[in-house]
Amino acid sequence: MIRSHCILRTERRGIHVDQSDLLCKKGCGYYGNAAWQGLCSKCWREEYQRVRQKQIQDDWALAEKLQREEEAAYASSHGVQTQSTTPPQPGHTSLGPFSKFEEKKTNEKTRKVTTVKKFFSPSSRTASKKETQEGKTSPSISRHASFDTDQVSKDFVEFLKNLQKPGREIHKQCRAFLVNMSSKKDLGADELSECVQDFYQNLADRQMTHFKGSSESVEQVMDQVEKYIMTRLYKSVFCPETTDDERKDLATQNRIRALHWVTIQMLCVSMDEEIPEVSENVVKAITDIIEMDSKRVPRDKLACITRCSKHIFSAIRITKNEPASADDFLPALIYIVLKANPPRLQSNIQYITRFCNPSRLMTGEDGYYFTNLCCAAAFIEKLDAQSLNLSPEEFERYMSGQASPRCSSAEGEWPHTGQGAGVAATNPVLAQLNHNLEQLSSISSRQEKVMEAAQSLQADLLSWTESVQREVNDILEKYPLTCTVSAIDANNIDNDNLPPPLTPQVFAG
Amino acid sequence: MGESLPRVHGGAQQHSDTLRRPVHTLRVKMVLLGSSGVGKSSLALRFSKDEFRSTSPTVGCAYLTQVVHLSNATLRFEIWDTAGQEKYHSVTPLYYRGAHVALLVYDITQRETFVRAQVWLKELEKQYIPGSTVIWLVGNKGDLAHDRQVPLEEGESLASNKGLYFIETSALSGEQVNELLQSVAHRVFECIGAQQGGLTEWQETPTVDLRHKDSFNLFASCCKVGP
Ligand SMILES: Nc1nc2c(ncn2[C@@H]2O[C@H](COP(=O)(O)OP(=O)(O)O)[C@@H](O)[C@H]2O)c(=O)[nH]1
Ligand SMILES: [Mg+2]
Ligand SMILES: [Zn+2]
Repeated sequence: MIRSHCILRTERRGIHVDQSDLLCKKGCGYYGNAAWQGLCSKCWREEYQRVRQKQIQDDWALAEKLQREEEAAYASSHGVQTQSTTPPQPGHTSLGPFSKFEEKKTNEKTRKVTTVKKFFSPSSRTASKKETQEGKTSPSISRHASFDTDQVSKDFVEFLKNLQKPGREIHKQCRAFLVNMSSKKDLGADELSECVQDFYQNLADRQMTHFKGSSESVEQVMDQVEKYIMTRLYKSVFCPETTDDERKDLATQNRIRALHWVTIQMLCVSMDEEIPEVSENVVKAITDIIEMDSKRVPRDKLACITRCSKHIFSAIRITKNEPASADDFLPALIYIVLKANPPRLQSNIQYITRFCNPSRLMTGEDGYYFTNLCCAAAFIEKLDAQSLNLSPEEFERYMSGQASPRCSSAEGEWPHTGQGAGVAATNPVLAQLNHNLEQLSSISSRQEKVMEAAQSLQADLLSWTESVQREVNDILEKYPLTCTVSAIDANNIDNDNLPPPLTPQVFAG
Repeated sequence: MGESLPRVHGGAQQHSDTLRRPVHTLRVKMVLLGSSGVGKSSLALRFSKDEFRSTSPTVGCAYLTQVVHLSNATLRFEIWDTAGQEKYHSVTPLYYRGAHVALLVYDITQRETFVRAQVWLKELEKQYIPGSTVIWLVGNKGDLAHDRQVPLEEGESLASNKGLYFIETSALSGEQVNELLQSVAHRVFECIGAQQGGLTEWQETPTVDLRHKDSFNLFASCCKVGP
């Protein structure tokens, strides 16, 4: 039992970050984000607008490169196909592949020309100037940010390659969509969501014809599209300036902090954290829900919620020895959210709602857990005395910090004296104060004792010096100092045999 | 009594019990609403029990699934149990967003649960899009006829006044539970399945053109893409 608490505590130490670490490094009072170098979204935008500009250009360069690769791969696979399907024509056996080779060469040439042209066009020149500027201010940011997106882009192209021609079409459409979106940064969140959802819908519809109605293949492609699109859009559409998501995050964060006193019993949660296995699951659930914020793709965020939920189910199952029902699950999830205080909870919920495939949210297992998380967040917002089976007065006292329910059980931990005990039973906060005062007074009395001891030590030292001085004087009086010249010094006869002293010599350079 | 109800198999894999049939599998979201203790969870477990291993690899029974075969379609019911405690009422609307079926459950031996069901109905009606949700009024604990507080007729008349479907069940004995699920399946396919975009296909089952539905393809599962 004790062990389980230790696990919990150490784990939580790992999870909980100091408040100041979470705030924007510019000190504007909003929450910062590690992905934004500790800045809030607003400051990030102000500071690194240009970095993002550059990143878009980088992305483009990469997309172009990938497109080229992809086309080359397509051309070669196409070449193989023609070879295998059409029988070699007599007289043209060597000409076929050779002309292909020529074609490729000219393609490459024209491409080179366009790249060179681009390099000297005014827009690219300003871009490269910016590049060096940004490189100085924060090279790590752009490098770090583009790494993930690069990988996602590569994976996406890899995936699309298997689809051959439709894959190329999809890539083209996604790129066009991203360009289109970059010009729509100032749109409201709902409009952004609509754009993305419309794009999903259109693309899915078009694929329905490609894949002849196999919704399974379409779903697979759409999952990849979502991953690709949302990884790129994440920074501009997560918690956008146009919304009050950030304010809501702060409000929720503070609300949960103010509710720190809510106990597992008040929520009627059927999880017994005294059982090591249960508390392990609780810790994992907390970790999972906190991890949600670090994911970019809506589906990855959903997966965190689902993992969190499964751990809760395990915890309840172990406690009750029967499968958890909805009546057990929702309160437990609320408790986990209160304990975890997940970063940017509202922003994450909004982001998932806006940019995830809606059928995934309203149906399916992931959808069920997500809905429960929304319920938990809504419940916490409205939570009142009644929902915790408390009287309004009690609730007020706990909320204002005048009293804390938890301490009635921890009473025994404090070694308070007679006068404090009575108060402690009714007001544990006062008891804690009393206890602290007692400790302070005992410290000051100990300090006085230390001072006394130090002073007597100082006196002892002084008298000791005096006594030593006196002894020395006595001895000096008894045995006065007389100087006698030693025999060796007197007969210094060998002096003449010593070599002459060294004289400085000048060396010619 | 909850003890006597069948338990969910914990480790069942989602793929293994997917019925690989070359027919459309449509997903149906069914939400259970009602006061605490009326038997929602018991009903949910009953629904997912017969001839069926739980598809959900979770250890919980808050979200369960059950497949119902109709002559021209297969419906995969996703059964959403809800927390019935009064304090969660304000958040319940989140559960029935996008639901195809809502079961309004009350306990025939507790009149206040019947009253509560009517409150829920009002809430539902606020969000109700005609033709998008099939609502059922379910009087549960039919086995406790001697303690009955809500006459059968009262349930029937409420249902007919409000244009709901009605049934009395017993999650304990299992009476009328299967019948309920079967008629829900038929209704939901008739009312919603026919509409454009009414029901979406469930993507984990390979789907084949309806015209070939009679030729049972043993190797359909081999054609499945992905893991
Ligand atoms: N006699 C009888 N008891 C039932 C029936 N259905 C459920 N119960 C019991 O009613 C209690 C509450 O059931 P539960 O499914 O947890 O209700 P929920 O709160 O709506 O999910 C449990 O003790 C069940 O055993 C039924 O049809 N008949
Ligand atoms: Mg229940
Ligand atoms: Zn800031």
